Amino acid sequence: MAYSDKVLDHYSNPRNVGSMDKNSQEVGTGLVGAPECGDVMKLQIKVNPQTQVIEDAKFKTFGCGSAIASSSLATEWVKGKTVEEALQIKNTEIVKELSLPPVKIHCSVLAEDAIRAAIHDWKKKNGSANANAPVPAGSQASH
Amino acid sequence: MANPEAKSGSSLIMPGDATSTCWSCGTMRAEHFCSACGKVQPPVPVDYFTFFGLPRKLSVEVTGLEREFYQLSRKLHPDLYSGAEAREQQWSLEQSSQLNDAYRTLKDPIKRTEYLLRLEGVELEEQSKSATEQARASGQVKKQVVPPDLLEEVFDLNMQLEELRMQKKLGEDDPSLIEEIGRQKLELEEKHEALLEELKRDWTEWDHAVDSGSEEERRKIRDKMVDVLNRRNYLRNLVRDVNEVLESGS
Ligand code: FES
Repeated sequence: MAYSDKVLDHYSNPRNVGSMDKNSQEVGTGLVGAPECGDVMKLQIKVNPQTQVIEDAKFKTFGCGSAIASSSLATEWVKGKTVEEALQIKNTEIVKELSLPPVKIHCSVLAEDAIRAAIHDWKKKNGSANANAPVPAGSQASH
Repeated sequence: MANPEAKSGSSLIMPGDATSTCWSCGTMRAEHFCSACGKVQPPVPVDYFTFFGLPRKLSVEVTGLEREFYQLSRKLHPDLYSGAEAREQQWSLEQSSQLNDAYRTLKDPIKRTEYLLRLEGVELEEQSKSATEQARASGQVKKQVVPPDLLEEVFDLNMQLEELRMQKKLGEDDPSLIEEIGRQKLELEEKHEALLEELKRDWTEWDHAVDSGSEEERRKIRDKMVDVLNRRNYLRNLVRDVNEVLESGS
């Protein structure tokens, strides 16, 4: 299967590979996996407690090229966003940006899951007031 | 969650349709061959269980299946039809290849289970995607389908494998790391085996439920099997990768 140029670019030159201290108060860690293929992805964010802006992001993915590219792109996208803004990132935007074919959609899903999991972890560390994310209007979900 | 729509979209037809009228003598209901005149029949798009005349149960007696396979493959062998009508030749070819696919799928415990789940309308990837969409809509975090400590384990072992790969490249592998990975490999293989045993217990429950269970019960067992297969996928990949690294260049 042919990868798009953007995937190849992120794959051969991934941004923000690495890790941060997962015990730090300011760091949120998300570890997620795709059971279909057995791939795993870890994504970490470092959040400024005053501004709630994500100042740094790192990832490490053991998986296919599309998963590596998706997580690399995800770290680029979340940096500079507030936590609430980062929660708006959808896997479909990743699919579009990287021109992923249908069989690779689950790789982008993994990246969205990782962002959410990292933010969730950070919120949990920083008080339950934050963990109760505002529920978008129209959704009846209760916590 | 099984999607009830999924089944209706499939081209597979139900067991009752597996039989048809013989094209040659026109009277008998036939499967692979007409039971009256013995002519090979055009293949019918049936599921693999039906192909072998089996119920959709998972505890398959593999020796019996094998016997049936060899018998049929002898009788369907395209060489036998080299002098027959063109359409018979074609049918024997098609039946043979259907036979091979069916046999390969059903004799393997994992493939058989995955196949049955697909027949039952379970779409793993769909499930994952819709769980993400739900998480997005509700602002909650998506529940991972495997336990977090399994993910940790997979991740950590992958880190070690990466290190070992690097060391090997530099030609200076560390014996204690190799030993550590070797130890984990044994553990993994044990767990991998244990999951097969767990799956077999689920089969028994499933087979029971096929006869007498409610839809609700069947759904529960399906979910359990999906869960075992998910965990097993991770372990299978890990075992594969560990072997690859341990065997490479040493
Ligand atoms: S193939 Fe599974 S994450 Fe890409």
